[in-house]
Amino acid sequence: MAVYAAPVQELIDELGRLPGVGPKSAQRIAFHLLKLSREDALRLAKAVVEAKDRVAWCTRCFNVAEGELCGICTDDRRDATVVCVVEEPRDLVAVEKTQEFRGRYHVLGGAMSPIEGIGPEHLRVKELLARIDAEEITEVILCTNPNIEGETTAMYLARLLKPLGLRVTRIASGLPVGGDLEYADELTLGRALEGRRELEG
Amino acid sequence: MTDFRGYAEADVTFAPGLTAVLGANGQGKTNLLEAVAYLATLGSFRGAPPDALIRDGADRAVVRGEVERDGRELLLEAELVAGGRNRAQVNRQPLRRARDLLGALRVTVFSPDDLALVKAGPGERRRFLDDTLVALHPRNDGVRGEVDRVLRQRNALLKQAGGRLSPEVELTLDVWDAKLATAGEALARARTDLLAELAPAVGVAYAEVAQREVAVEAIYAPAWSRVDGGLAGALAAGRPEDLRRGLSLVGPHRDELELRLRGLPARTHASQGEQRSLALALRLAAHRVVAVATGTPPVLLLDDVFSELDPGRSDALLAHLPAGQTILTTAGALPPGARPDQTLTIHDGTIVPPAPARTKP
Repeated sequence: MAVYAAPVQELIDELGRLPGVGPKSAQRIAFHLLKLSREDALRLAKAVVEAKDRVAWCTRCFNVAEGELCGICTDDRRDATVVCVVEEPRDLVAVEKTQEFRGRYHVLGGAMSPIEGIGPEHLRVKELLARIDAEEITEVILCTNPNIEGETTAMYLARLLKPLGLRVTRIASGLPVGGDLEYADELTLGRALEGRRELEG
Repeated sequence: MTDFRGYAEADVTFAPGLTAVLGANGQGKTNLLEAVAYLATLGSFRGAPPDALIRDGADRAVVRGEVERDGRELLLEAELVAGGRNRAQVNRQPLRRARDLLGALRVTVFSPDDLALVKAGPGERRRFLDDTLVALHPRNDGVRGEVDRVLRQRNALLKQAGGRLSPEVELTLDVWDAKLATAGEALARARTDLLAELAPAVGVAYAEVAQREVAVEAIYAPAWSRVDGGLAGALAAGRPEDLRRGLSLVGPHRDELELRLRGLPARTHASQGEQRSLALALRLAAHRVVAVATGTPPVLLLDDVFSELDPGRSDALLAHLPAGQTILTTAGALPPGARPDQTLTIHDGTIVPPAPARTKP
């Protein structure tokens, strides 16, 4: 049964398809948009169109890019021999914010999850393997999420990469800096204990 | 609690000792126990889906409980949202994950369905072991969750493979197998360690409940643990069959906790009365193991168990129930051995007498 006029319902349906937006939120956002002035609404619409038209995927690392290559891949101050593998562009942004990493990236586009029908062939694995020789990569840092799917994807990649004779590392799991041990969840604390390091005396 | 099962609103304080909850069938006695148990396990001991716990017509239910633990007062709150994520708070602090609530309150539930522990398939007995593991240590909930998740992923992959092992599938299956082997062995190890303490306790409890000395054995010995290379080896050996069936046929999710009386399988060879005693003994034993390990006896919830027991077993159970907070429900008369410190009557989702007004003495 249609409660709203067709254009309104269509807007709600479209918004409802966005990640993290349920039917209730979709409704709220739709009515907010309807209340906006025409210019404000059009500015949003234009931003979507612009982003869609001008932004593409970097042909090397599959980060978002405004041309053939992304800003990181075109920056020749970065170390091309070290590649950090992440699931999504937003993970890349998270690593980038640390300013600790000066190499390049490779965005897989997700993690292996048969339940969702995602196998390695749906991720940019072949593309990663093709880069190793072409770019003379010597180290790959596996920076997938520390959940079951991310860990499994990292293990899969490690098995493919190790025989190629390069250094393959996995980011550590551990405690948030500046936090209290007392508040750490047991799983994380357990992992942190497993991954303990010797202190320089 | 608010909008939990048939209760629109209810507030009740239980005596530190024994509380008897009386009332005819269908008035909400079990629902009251279920609410208490929910705060401890974030699930229904009757295996009901979360949405079934929310009162008809309401979109959320809240269970709130003040508990005293090691001299500390804790305010536990759990909220169930229809079709949504459940949330929990301790002392008004929201928890990042609802399951961080586990361990704040522990319960042992006895219900007429417990007979299934002995009579039904191995799934019931695995659940019993794993629930006890979580009560012993909340971390085990994560171990169990990881096994479940990896299994679902592996099964999905097996189905997609359609019986064929392409090189691509083989490579992917290899990593899921490795993951399942690690998680599965961790769970099996935890179960084995638990059995070391639980098995003797079951024997003792059985003698108390049945009032006779009988050889009782509880054995957890997965067939895959005897294979070369453990679970990883068994998964490799079973791979062709798994592929053919599109299902994981080996692992902790297929293991059996074998129960034997006088050396014979209790499921098929014990009498109905013996099976009932054994089910009680399993619960009692788990209760004691958890009480010793955590230093705090769990709250005992006895849901209409006396209706199923002959007077001899009822008295034996009451005599051997560990001292501590106990809540029992019954539709009939209390067994003669029961001396409640408090009696509540439930009528149509209302608790009589209502909780006394909250004033500090």
